[in-house]
Amino acid sequence: MHWLSPLLLLAQVSADDITREMGRLQRNFEFLSYGFAAAWIVLAIYVLMMVGRERRLKREISSLKAMLEERQKK
Amino acid sequence: MREKILYLLGVAAFVILARDIFVIARFPPEASQGNAFKIIFFHLPAWAAAFTAVGASLVTSILFLVTKNFQYDAIAVASTEVGVAFLTVGLVTGSLWARPIWGIWWTWDERLTTTLVLWLLYLGYLMLRRAIEEPTQRATFAAVVSIFAFIGVPIDYFSIRWWRTQHPAPVFFSSTGSFPHDWSVVMGWNILAMLMLATVIVAVRLEQEQSQRELDSLRRLAHAF
Repeated sequence: MHWLSPLLLLAQVSADDITREMGRLQRNFEFLSYGFAAAWIVLAIYVLMMVGRERRLKREISSLKAMLEERQKK
Repeated sequence: MREKILYLLGVAAFVILARDIFVIARFPPEASQGNAFKIIFFHLPAWAAAFTAVGASLVTSILFLVTKNFQYDAIAVASTEVGVAFLTVGLVTGSLWARPIWGIWWTWDERLTTTLVLWLLYLGYLMLRRAIEEPTQRATFAAVVSIFAFIGVPIDYFSIRWWRTQHPAPVFFSSTGSFPHDWSVVMGWNILAMLMLATVIVAVRLEQEQSQRELDSLRRLAHAF
């Protein structure tokens, strides 16, 4: 009869039990996704700031070099 | 060649971290905390990267004070800035974990407070550098601040062992916690990937620091004319 036990147990499970269990398993999933997203966003913002700084440095260096070359010609 | 290695390192780190998101999502929820517990897979590697970066800043700051070689100062500022970025990741992910578990975003517990103080100290280091014009004075003062700020790292690290904190007890290198083997493997990969990412960003930031020095010397030359 022991093979009947799981079937009998399954028959006792209501839809509410299944919903509750699914809810438990999915609990805090949104905060997990916020956590992962936040980690990527913070690093992405920092990398974008670095890209902006890189562009500014290159622009300033090239303009200063051009200015110095012009002064040397004079 | 150097750029290729950095590019490969960056891509590899990105691939590992992206792959691990799917691996972590498939892990069963932790018994008491549910899925929010899995934030630790990004939270802890961010701290590992941050502490390594500020550790590098400490070493190079000492080397600068001993040798007065500005290359060490450049590494110190690059690694401190990256350290602050990863400290921010650690603070933000920690806060996002605290909200569903504790019901609050923040509490003045020993671990959180020492972490915030550490973050502010390194932010102060970066602000100090902007405030001083003269390069030698800037590098010397910054090196002293970096050494002083690092005192906060062991205090922050050991705070959850020294005091009864609201922050969870350590999971690794302690008898209080345990982590399933397959979870530990993914955590190991994530720590490695974050360290690789931090190395790439420090290397790129270091190049910018050299460009900044070139710009400073060009400015001095322009003033001399």
